[in-house]
Amino acid sequence: MADMFDLDRRTMLGSIAALLGAASLPVDALAKPIRRGSGRAARFLAAPHYALLGAVADTIMPATDTPGALAAKVPSRIDGLLRNWASAETRSQVTGALGRIEAAAHAQKGKGFAALTPAEREGVLRPHDMAALQKVPAPPGTKSANPFAPVISVADNGYYKLKELVVHLYYFSEVASTTELNYVHVPGKFVPSIKLTPTSRPELGTGPF
Amino acid sequence: MFDAIVIGSGMSGGIAAKELCERGLKVLVIERGRMIKHGEDYMDSQMPWELPNDNKIPEDELARDYAIQSQCYAVNAATKQFWVKDSEHPYTTPEGKPFAWIRGYHLGGRSIMWGRQSYRLSEMDFEANAKDGHGCDWPIRYADLAPWYDHVEKFIGVAGSKEGLPQLPDGEFIPPFELNDGEKLFKASIEAKFPGRKVIVGRNANLSVAQPHHEELGRSSCQNRSICERGCSFGANHTSLSSSLPAAERTGNLTVVTDAIVHSLVQDPATGKITAVRVIDANTMAGRTYEAKLFFLNASAIASAQILLNSRNEANPRGLCNKSDQVGRNLMDHMYALTTAGIMPQFPTDSYYHGRRPTGIYIPRFRNVTEEADGYVRGYGYQGGVMRMGGKPQATAPGLGQEIKERGRKFGPWMTFISGFGEMLPDPNNRVTQSETRKDKWGIPILHIDCGLGPNEGKMAKQVLADGKAMIEAAGGMVISQANAAGAPGLGIHEMGTARMGRDPLTSVFNGWNQAHEAANLFCTDGAAMASSGCQNPSLTYMALTARAADHAVKLMKEGKL
Repeated sequence: MADMFDLDRRTMLGSIAALLGAASLPVDALAKPIRRGSGRAARFLAAPHYALLGAVADTIMPATDTPGALAAKVPSRIDGLLRNWASAETRSQVTGALGRIEAAAHAQKGKGFAALTPAEREGVLRPHDMAALQKVPAPPGTKSANPFAPVISVADNGYYKLKELVVHLYYFSEVASTTELNYVHVPGKFVPSIKLTPTSRPELGTGPF
Repeated sequence: MFDAIVIGSGMSGGIAAKELCERGLKVLVIERGRMIKHGEDYMDSQMPWELPNDNKIPEDELARDYAIQSQCYAVNAATKQFWVKDSEHPYTTPEGKPFAWIRGYHLGGRSIMWGRQSYRLSEMDFEANAKDGHGCDWPIRYADLAPWYDHVEKFIGVAGSKEGLPQLPDGEFIPPFELNDGEKLFKASIEAKFPGRKVIVGRNANLSVAQPHHEELGRSSCQNRSICERGCSFGANHTSLSSSLPAAERTGNLTVVTDAIVHSLVQDPATGKITAVRVIDANTMAGRTYEAKLFFLNASAIASAQILLNSRNEANPRGLCNKSDQVGRNLMDHMYALTTAGIMPQFPTDSYYHGRRPTGIYIPRFRNVTEEADGYVRGYGYQGGVMRMGGKPQATAPGLGQEIKERGRKFGPWMTFISGFGEMLPDPNNRVTQSETRKDKWGIPILHIDCGLGPNEGKMAKQVLADGKAMIEAAGGMVISQANAAGAPGLGIHEMGTARMGRDPLTSVFNGWNQAHEAANLFCTDGAAMASSGCQNPSLTYMALTARAADHAVKLMKEGKL
């Protein structure tokens, strides 16, 4: 199993390198020694990349009048998804998207994204976000995963996946479901008609209705 | 020796066990999948952020093991345990002609994850084959089944409203779930602008208000969580585990074996009666047989046909009970995913609702009922809902931070979606056959499923979409999304017809009591027995046929006629 994990990791690093081309981010920066035998699962991303992920997540969903992505543990949950859920392709897409944000920070500010002030981070990410999410035609024959899911095709699909993970995990968190939205696991009664008030919050939906 | 063996523990097998046990028979239920326990094996208590991998199945695992199952809306990390691994249970289809066989192998089968929509077939459904000449005439009519619909509805608990519609008979309902304000407006618009069309709340087997006989089985009222497919620890939806098997068990007459894959039935050539079931232990591969006097085949439409086909012998080279050559033929599903969605800008912006009601709206069939159809026979109904958009924003929109949060806090417009469920005609060329060369890991020939939509379905699908658009627009909506074709057959998860009922042994497999023409002590009451599909969700009909057949079979036994 250890060999398989190492192979996966090498594949991922190779994919990231290919995505970045002559990247400003050294591939070594992504590598992280695997700790074995400890009770806690090793973090998937190496420390610098994890810090980058944290900075990006905190810029997409910062603490404002409500808590942000860090309070919602979004970076560690994404790291867990990269380790336990994502395919090699998805890992490459997400880490490639992070790498492009890092490259933009270096190009524009001369240092890594995580080292920037919150205002500088927003200055880098905002135009990146705008460009990355420009809609483009889907490749011919692209099919949705299921009959009800739309096909999404934007300029940087890796960035879309990264942002979707940040936003989704933020809202599907304990802090967001008690501040931004409303979630009651056992509603009891269905109340078919409620008059909205200025303090009403939309429900976090988990099913079709 | 048991008095009766029930093959399969899902929707119809659970009811067969209950009805036979309650009539005093010692019953063995044989389930091919593993044992699961009501409540303790469910993942319905976890909060959304507590589910593994954000409730997603690892992508590589999904592609490797669940390539077909993953097309079903209800497949996720919390329900993964309830779906078969396609990699372990292969079947083949013709190139370019997919059939999605969605399955769950465990005690209770798909009754754990079912959609719970519960509708009666009507007189026009039972007459349809005779009138338009497709398939063979049903050997029963609505009046034969009506008391058994009553019986089953009372037991399982169906929430619904009485509407007086001939195409969708009323039943013994518990109080209906309520429509929200958007749905009420949609209903008013449609019913005013399209006389003859109705918008009603979906009739569903969730206990809106648990009755004393439900509570006796440990069931309680629905908590409006809408995560029913994970298994409901409240027992608020009818499943074999929450409802029918406990009812069977309390008689003291029930025995259950799991991990027992039925290989074939053994027939006495002298009497024609079934004498035993051959099973293979799913884990040890050891073979064994179970004997009984009476047999109920409830393995699900395709699997029941497979058992009959695999029971072939020298005297029956096409399979057991198959002199008609209809076993495996006439496979039907409902056309699925013919969805239209639209925004309703004129619906009230200050109205909302609370709770996640476990059903939506239903638009009963109107084509070839109150309105003519555009060149096809039969018809379709719609399932759907009207809800407020809003909540978690889409990541596709540019923007960061507070902009995203502001979007999430806004209540969006009302959105209507309606999805047509269209009737498929029985077509003998839509067929399940056994491979002559390939076997599964238990040595049973794998199936080849050759099933497609025909010209009648093609014309119907066009009108499903056209009517969907017209209705949303008539209610003041603006269509934002529409399917362009039905999904692959199988995705409706309403497989039917592969061993149909009929009067004539030369053209059908089971008679009007679901009793095999060629084996008096064999009954089949799952989807296989259906002579046509209607457009209504079929589980309620399987259960009603089962209760009726069980009653008849026990009477025959007591009269010494089996």
